[in-house]
Amino acid sequence: MTTFIDYLLGGVSSGAIIALMALAIVLIWRSTRVVNFAQVGQAMFTTYVALTVRDATGNWIIALLAAIAAGAVLGLVVHWLVIRPVKRVDTSGAIIATFGVLISLQALAGMLWGGDTRGYAPPVSNDGIQLAGRIWPFSWYDVLVIGVTIALVIGLTLLFTRTNIGLAMRASAFNPEVARLSGVRVSRSLAYGWILAGMVGAIAGVLVAPTSQVSPNSFDILLVFAFTAAVIGGLDSLVGAVTFGIGTGLVISLVSGYSDSSNAPVVALVLLALNLLLKPDGVFGHHHSRAV
Amino acid sequence: MHKLMMLPGSRLVQHAAIALAIWVALTRLNQSVDPLLSYYLALVGMYATAMFGMTILVGLSGQVSLGNGALMAVGGYAFALTSLNWKTVPILGLPWNAVWSVVFAGIFGILVGLVIGGLAARLKGPYLAGLTLGVAVGVPAIANRFPGLFGGENGLMLTVPYPQGGYDASAVDTGPADTGADAIPTEAPDLPTEQAPIGGESLAPSDLLTVDDLGGAVSSAAPSVAPSDLITPDDLMGATGAPIASMPAEPSALASAGTDLGSTASGGVDAGSVDVSAVGGLILEQWQATLSITMACIMGFVALNLVRSRQGRTWQAVRDDSIAAAVSGINPSRSKVSAFVVSSLFAALAGAVFAQLLTYVGPGAYGLGLSLSLLVGIVLGGRASLLGAIIGAVLLVWLPVVVDRLSADRGWPEPVTNNAPNLLYGLLVVLVVLLAPGGITGTIRQSLAPVLRRRD
Repeated sequence: MTTFIDYLLGGVSSGAIIALMALAIVLIWRSTRVVNFAQVGQAMFTTYVALTVRDATGNWIIALLAAIAAGAVLGLVVHWLVIRPVKRVDTSGAIIATFGVLISLQALAGMLWGGDTRGYAPPVSNDGIQLAGRIWPFSWYDVLVIGVTIALVIGLTLLFTRTNIGLAMRASAFNPEVARLSGVRVSRSLAYGWILAGMVGAIAGVLVAPTSQVSPNSFDILLVFAFTAAVIGGLDSLVGAVTFGIGTGLVISLVSGYSDSSNAPVVALVLLALNLLLKPDGVFGHHHSRAV
Repeated sequence: MHKLMMLPGSRLVQHAAIALAIWVALTRLNQSVDPLLSYYLALVGMYATAMFGMTILVGLSGQVSLGNGALMAVGGYAFALTSLNWKTVPILGLPWNAVWSVVFAGIFGILVGLVIGGLAARLKGPYLAGLTLGVAVGVPAIANRFPGLFGGENGLMLTVPYPQGGYDASAVDTGPADTGADAIPTEAPDLPTEQAPIGGESLAPSDLLTVDDLGGAVSSAAPSVAPSDLITPDDLMGATGAPIASMPAEPSALASAGTDLGSTASGGVDAGSVDVSAVGGLILEQWQATLSITMACIMGFVALNLVRSRQGRTWQAVRDDSIAAAVSGINPSRSKVSAFVVSSLFAALAGAVFAQLLTYVGPGAYGLGLSLSLLVGIVLGGRASLLGAIIGAVLLVWLPVVVDRLSADRGWPEPVTNNAPNLLYGLLVVLVVLLAPGGITGTIRQSLAPVLRRRD
């Protein structure tokens, strides 16, 4: 029982990071109906930016802010240059284009920063906290990760429920035609979605860096986990992304703990396949009637 | 177009004639070029075989899948495991032969394709891409999960079956059930002297791939290096940041590179340790290219018939409008599954060829990078065109070579050289999707259309 709890505890913070990445995917899906497979590429790139800034300044928070800024710019650039022009041409095209962006970003990062795996020291201790006579599989860094995630989720909720921008974004996602007729600048709202997603992804990248290291490809697996969480959550639902992001983290931690960490991608795949078979619209998703 | 291709006989005969003509031309070419180019030819054939399947799946059926690299792994592992472990054909009791391994690679490919395709038929667009992305990432994990069966991270060493005698792929022990045990590389001493000019004279040093170019951090002592050192997942899709596994560091090409890097005289000896028995006048790379070309031509013939058949039109009908297709009596999900299964067969057979080219199967060689490169190739060449698949295959092999030459001339730093092909691929894919969704063939066809129409 203690080991079970240990494994669960160990999965919370990785789940929180998966949740953030899933949130980024959901934010973009809600705004543009595109699954951005380049999301982890963008996050990887901004994490390298953070790494560079941190090497220069030695400050974790400044590095994080730099990554967030870079994430916003990158999100906007990808939206403007790639997604907006391609979207109406063909549906396969948008998917393929995001993979093109992913490949480009990974190659560019390899060019700029080399292919070697780089470490990213956490700002606070990543060792288990000693409490009540034992070491828990939970560190102050985990506390930080979960704290940042909770703050972000609260911030996004407030943004979507309490601000005009959030309302405009929801309206544009819900029904672009009606939103446009009601005076909402739809294309600007869509761009906000990409900027927001880029920022959230950048935060996730910086947070995951100490545990996963940084290399052009080290976030690939995060894409699979985040996509799994986002799809199980319904792709539309921010609540779903967070819930199943953390859930995915817990399941992976349990699987890795009781068997072997190399099983994690297979388990994610099975979860994804089961969900797509049994509940294709996700648990929190809106049901769309499908033709034939 | 059709007037140009007016050949006697039925369409089947026409297609067979086209495939045969290409086969003859390529076989001639293969016998006249040096080993490195033969090896590239072999890679092109392998990619083309897999990408014919992608033409059907992505182009005709409209399903964007990243799972075909994983299905190539199915074919590769099926080929390796059957040829390493089975001495006779099950049930039939016939003596084992590499052709049977290819057959079983195809069968396993179809079976796995049925499973994934059955799932995939219910999914649309991004869901399918995401699920198959998971498959692409998950398959290497499965190989690591059952190290006893699949050889884990190190994979399995193979021998390339020569028509007679045999060929021992490497100096190292190839582990359990080494079918190369009865290989007789006895002719080795004489042949290197004949081979040395092929690899040594025709290429200027600047034209060559260096050992570093082939695989990043691979040491130059290629023939004796264990497979784990040659191809690690990091080399192919990890540390070097190269998602495109187009140019894995396979022992034989390393050996030829080693030949060329050294002086011509001593280089021949190096090559002799790997490119040993030239059987029937073919050295290893030429034999590999022969296998690959033959497979590509056979499967190209099959694909050509499928594309221009009722089934081909069915796939396109479902892609363009599945409701309208259903109203016309087509079962859309059956059509999607059949496209998936057919492309799985192509992928598995290409995977079996790939195993022969690498003389190795391992999780690193069949990772996400392979799937991505298939997608890149098909998009650049032209999604719905078999000719596009061939052009894409050539691009996948040729572009890194060009970049290497440029890099050698201009003295680019290593990270730039290693990543330049992928950066080009990524940017080109985006540009093609934005500006010329038909890829190279589509664009050419579009620009030729007015000319052809005038002629009619």
